[in-house]
Amino acid sequence: MSAITPTTPVPGLFEIQAHNWKLAILVGLIVSVLSMFALPPEAAFWITGAMAAMVAAAFVVNAYRRHYYGGLLVAPAIAVLFVMNIFPLLWSLGLSFFAYQSNQQTIRFVGLTNYTKVLTDSLKAPENWANLTNTAMFVVLTVTAQMIVGFLLALMFAKQFPLRKYLLILVLTPMMLSVVAAGVFFSYYYDPTFGLLSYFIRLFTGEQFILMDNKAGAVAGIVFADAWMWSPFVMLLVLAGLVSVPKYLYEAAAIDRVSGWRRFWSITFPYIRGLLMLALLFRTIEAFKMADLVILLTKGGNGTMTISYHLIRIANEQNKTSEGAAISYVMLFIVIVLTNLYLYIANRRTEGA
Amino acid sequence: MSKATSIWEKLGFRKASGVSEAGWGQTLFAGIISLIYFLPVLLIIITSFKLQTEALSIPPKFMPTNLFGLIPDAYVFSPTLENYTSVFSRAMTSGGVAENTGFDRYFFNSIMIASVSVLLALVIGTLAAFGFSRYPLKGNDTYLFVILTTRMLPAIVVIIPIILMFRVTGLSGSYLGIIMLYTAFNLPFTIWMMKSFFDELSLDVEDAARLDGSSGLKVFFKICLPQVLAGLAATFVFGLILTWNEFLFALLLTGIDTRTVPVAMSQAVAGGGIGVLWGLLAAIETLFLIPVFFVTFFLQDHLLRGVTFGTVKR
Amino acid sequence: MSTIELKQATKKYGDFVAARDVDLSVKKGEVVCLLGPSGCGKTTTLRMIAGLERITSGEVIVAGQRMNDLPPEKRDIAMVFQFYALYPALTVGENIAMPLHHEKISATEMKSRVDKVAEILHLGSVLNRLPGQVSEGEKQRVAVARAIVRDPNCFLFDEPLSRLDVELRHSMRGQIKQVLANLSKATVIVTHDQLEALTMADRIAIMKDGIIEQVGTPHEVFAKPANVFVGSFIGTPQMNLVEAKLSKFEKGKASINFNGQDIEITTNERVGKLNSPKITIGIRPRAFTAESKASNENIQAVAELIEPMGAETLVHARTKGGNDIRVVVPRENRVKVGEALHLRPDPAQTHVFGENGKAVRL
Repeated sequence: MSAITPTTPVPGLFEIQAHNWKLAILVGLIVSVLSMFALPPEAAFWITGAMAAMVAAAFVVNAYRRHYYGGLLVAPAIAVLFVMNIFPLLWSLGLSFFAYQSNQQTIRFVGLTNYTKVLTDSLKAPENWANLTNTAMFVVLTVTAQMIVGFLLALMFAKQFPLRKYLLILVLTPMMLSVVAAGVFFSYYYDPTFGLLSYFIRLFTGEQFILMDNKAGAVAGIVFADAWMWSPFVMLLVLAGLVSVPKYLYEAAAIDRVSGWRRFWSITFPYIRGLLMLALLFRTIEAFKMADLVILLTKGGNGTMTISYHLIRIANEQNKTSEGAAISYVMLFIVIVLTNLYLYIANRRTEGA
Repeated sequence: MSKATSIWEKLGFRKASGVSEAGWGQTLFAGIISLIYFLPVLLIIITSFKLQTEALSIPPKFMPTNLFGLIPDAYVFSPTLENYTSVFSRAMTSGGVAENTGFDRYFFNSIMIASVSVLLALVIGTLAAFGFSRYPLKGNDTYLFVILTTRMLPAIVVIIPIILMFRVTGLSGSYLGIIMLYTAFNLPFTIWMMKSFFDELSLDVEDAARLDGSSGLKVFFKICLPQVLAGLAATFVFGLILTWNEFLFALLLTGIDTRTVPVAMSQAVAGGGIGVLWGLLAAIETLFLIPVFFVTFFLQDHLLRGVTFGTVKR
Repeated sequence: MSTIELKQATKKYGDFVAARDVDLSVKKGEVVCLLGPSGCGKTTTLRMIAGLERITSGEVIVAGQRMNDLPPEKRDIAMVFQFYALYPALTVGENIAMPLHHEKISATEMKSRVDKVAEILHLGSVLNRLPGQVSEGEKQRVAVARAIVRDPNCFLFDEPLSRLDVELRHSMRGQIKQVLANLSKATVIVTHDQLEALTMADRIAIMKDGIIEQVGTPHEVFAKPANVFVGSFIGTPQMNLVEAKLSKFEKGKASINFNGQDIEITTNERVGKLNSPKITIGIRPRAFTAESKASNENIQAVAELIEPMGAETLVHARTKGGNDIRVVVPRENRVKVGEALHLRPDPAQTHVFGENGKAVRL
């Protein structure tokens, strides 16, 4: 079906042809790199963009001439992702080797200095490490809470009962709330003077309750809000797994007199294992990025500063662009390691099963 | 079984396969849990009908009526629609500066940006997914993995260059910029999900249509697309929920004219504490919740099917 | 005692009756096949015995005990599912061992019992594979192994061979029959394949629209169909059923207006006592003798289509009245298209059905 009909001969590398994409890449790379070094960033940006467009055009012409429809179908997606994801990624990689602040006009090549500063500087490194540990703590706490709550909710909805549809949507609603509203209203509920939490605790202790005045309380407040918001997501994935177990397997289990734990582990669990791992991966990555709830609930105070929030501050508020880029890449490295670890475990599981 | 079931079935409580039957007892149990879970949202909705003094009162007033004297008056507030009318009209003072709340504008921005970018991602992503599914090429898995990875990366990693890029190109604060960004943001997920749907389809019908002389495009639109409607719906809901509420990119990349509701809300609460107009904010969020709530509700069945597809394959 | 008994068992889904007043009893060591077209209620009947469907009214008695309200796990019944229902995440060996966990036996005994049935069903080499990694025939044998590894009250098979190809089906039929013969349990097999039923069953229950039409030995249901449906359902090629009019009955011979032609057929006395002259004549395709001349005891027809079947030839012929009848002739009879045939029906194999569709017998 996908046979590349060899109607058009493959052009030699230096043959000037509209579909010679190899040549287009080569020219594009050389011109872009040269312009980045020689021209101001504004001009370099447009030149690089034009080169990317040229390469893309060469690909499209090539695909069209060879009746390669797969390539044509994929091209728009690749183009958008290239402009909005891959290109910025490469740019920030480049930036991390320069000394650049977005509010100043100077730019200077400094090699690995940004990285050494971020990782070893006596003033900055401890702060970064502390933020990273905080992030790790949030990842562990929120993801654990979400997995447990989401799983239990899914078990509750795995049966068919009257009004199920309407109750399910109630539980899904927190996920649809905007983070801003969730954060703001949790700060309303947590407020020491007029918040609900403080009110109920005062009923027992007679004293106003300030949740956010120490690290444990602040962390608990953030974790609770985040877990509340995103447990429904885990629930949805687990529920999808639970309802996909064919009914006849449970019938066979009834005939074979298999019940309780054994039935769960040998029949149900294999169906949700993949989805549980997926939920774990998604939620870990999201938790790693956590910034908005922290901004809204504690502004990073009381030892709740996360690496993402720190990065936003550095890059956006303090204009330390290249230092931010270096932190980004350290984060990226960590996420890639985590993702690969996950994929390794997931693959080993499926092969071993 | 018998009559009762058929009535429930007529009301839309369809029996899902592979799901065991439980009765009203389960409904009661799940109802209590669900209501507790929903409580924070319910409180937001209740607050949206309160005036500022009632929103801040101690003890909290949470009942709109005294239920013929059953509830002590201390817990009862008099519901008002004032917050809802002022969402669109009233001048709000934030930090001493009077500004028209102008939430009509922000609502328009949110609806426009979210719907255009999700639909755009759906169109581009579905085409790409079809390409990946039907025209496999060497190293296909690698490309797919790279595409997926872009989604797995923390958005924060690309945000600095994107800010710079937007400043340089003048896309900062424009609809085009944020829509393109959100489209890219939704693409990996769309491609991944739709590909798994296309992979599940039987190729026989398509081959038959091709032998009958239908063009590739016709096969795609007439044969494949109708079969993956559930997938499209599920992908749409997920994309919509994520895009609708996206905050970080919107905060950093939208201008005054293109500001979305979450960003505007975050600015309205900048003062914090007593300075925040809780009732007004609750009304905004309630209004903001309604569209996604109903879209999700009506596409709920597809949502569950959509998640299962591709991930549970045997 | 391993027996199964259904008394007036009925299953309704809303207004739809899936099985109506089913009476069936299976003795120890007996194999009964529930045979019928798809949607006839045979699987529902099986699932009522297993307890997977709640019975609406009537009684299910297994091993002398009333089981109506017991869930499947308390009935001690082994069942082979149509799609095998193998647990996908467990190996073949673990699948077979699954029913044994309930019995709380030692690991070594469990293993020896699994090995024993694996040997009977030639599964020894695939015990460590997952169901997804074995062939269709092996899956089927695993499903059977999982059923026979225990010592249940009875065995139920739901279309056990429907997913196998012709050759495998043939050999599995023999294997299952042999295995069942050694177990001497009451067994019910659901099938839509009459060959399967005829070869494996001690008795066959033929169902249609939720009702049992006839229960009998394979010979009985073939040779003495109780009604038009059973007559047409059992036997390949299908029995010829022609509506006819009984004009008179004399000396054991019925004069019948058979589709525009008057013929005389020897039948039993009861035919003469019918109230209504409207009858249906059923003649098996192999029950004709081709004669050289037309007479009032044979049917005139013209060969229209010839289908060689190897040892025999199936001839589709058209009668004077325009009815199509199927005739099987030996290979040596070289019938040609357009040839006139004079077909004498064998009286012993000619079935007369009354206006109500029931067979007219002494």
